[in-house]
Amino acid sequence: MVLPHLDAAYTLARYLTRNDHDAQDVVQDAYLRALKYFRGFRGAEGGDGRAWLLAIVRNTAYTWQRRHRADGLTTEFDEELHSDAVAEDHPGATLERDTARESLHRALDRLPPEFREVIVLRELEGMSYKEIGDVTGVPIGTVMSRLSRARRRLQEALCAGEEGQ
Amino acid sequence: MTHGEVELQLDAYVDGELAPGDARELETHLKACVECARLHEARVALSATIREQVPAFRAPDALRNRVRAALRNAAEAPIPRRLMPSVAARWLALAASLALVAVGSWRLGLSRAGADALAGQVLASHVRSLMPGHLTDVVSSDQHTVKPWFNGKLDFSPPVYDFAGRGFPLVGGRLDYLVGRPAAALVYGRRQHLINVFLWPAKQGPVGGPDVATRQGYHLLHWTTPDYAYWVVSDLGMTELHDFAQLVQQADSAASRPAAARGLP
Repeated sequence: MVLPHLDAAYTLARYLTRNDHDAQDVVQDAYLRALKYFRGFRGAEGGDGRAWLLAIVRNTAYTWQRRHRADGLTTEFDEELHSDAVAEDHPGATLERDTARESLHRALDRLPPEFREVIVLRELEGMSYKEIGDVTGVPIGTVMSRLSRARRRLQEALCAGEEGQ
Repeated sequence: MTHGEVELQLDAYVDGELAPGDARELETHLKACVECARLHEARVALSATIREQVPAFRAPDALRNRVRAALRNAAEAPIPRRLMPSVAARWLALAASLALVAVGSWRLGLSRAGADALAGQVLASHVRSLMPGHLTDVVSSDQHTVKPWFNGKLDFSPPVYDFAGRGFPLVGGRLDYLVGRPAAALVYGRRQHLINVFLWPAKQGPVGGPDVATRQGYHLLHWTTPDYAYWVVSDLGMTELHDFAQLVQQADSAASRPAAARGLP
């Protein structure tokens, strides 16, 4: 018997908090909540509980950030405002040494968490739009547009990285 | 189609989430429009790059231990009566702790505590198998499908029977991990009830434990043949579960005689 979906939970928490220490705290907190809400899980329809558990991890991470960090996930997310924001400037000197991998990571880190999480859930966890909607609590149409905008920003960042080399 | 519309649909298309009609329309457009076709290629490449270069993390062992300890503490802590008044609710909390917390203390050997823990682990596995999506790895009522499915997954070939004629149809099988080794789990049905049969080679894992036990409303039966250690768990009534166990035992002894006569393992 193992702790179900612990790797997936840690991965999501890690990308939402962007550091190991907070991610571990969030995951522990989330599993305790999961234990408490276990009744809800048994009533949940279908699936192996991954979406249910990751939704708890996600909510825990957002609450955690609001409580413990002044920055990060506190900014109210505005679909339009954030989606078209230009990538932040970064010093040319760093750019030159930037490998494609680094610029991808950096671009991902800079995405608003609402964009970062859809990328993680889709690309790393291979979830369907429906499952992602279940985790993030938004309609499928919103999942679709967030993914599209998130990818566009990652692509722009990658292109900028290549041009800088 | 405008480029904006295409870009929005493109991701859903790449993810296989676009409705078939829209997908056909988009494909027609991609054939005609070089710019959008290039965007499509770029998106496919981006997805591949992300999957290749952005790591999915493995939870650190320290975290694994921390979470286990925290859950164990939480499960042991008294539950406020106000919140969990009924026996059923207490059972739920217990089932949850069993299902989520790995019963790590598996080196207890055959002491009474060990046998007790073994029963606990068998029960936990049964409860977990009843959670959505956990029951079977191979779904088949055909014993000749279920038995070969275990080939290469276990170092033994578990005997699989079909008692559909006797009212215990085979539902399927799955791999499980018990007593520190892989075990076969066979699932049989009886009306709305499910029966889990756990078995592993008698010589390679702990045997023993109570022959009959009732825990949290579930009945457990245990016996050992020369070949296998058996555990059977269900919420089925004890009488019917005994009937089922008898069927398995009879089938086992019937199967082992001709096999021994033919000199087969």
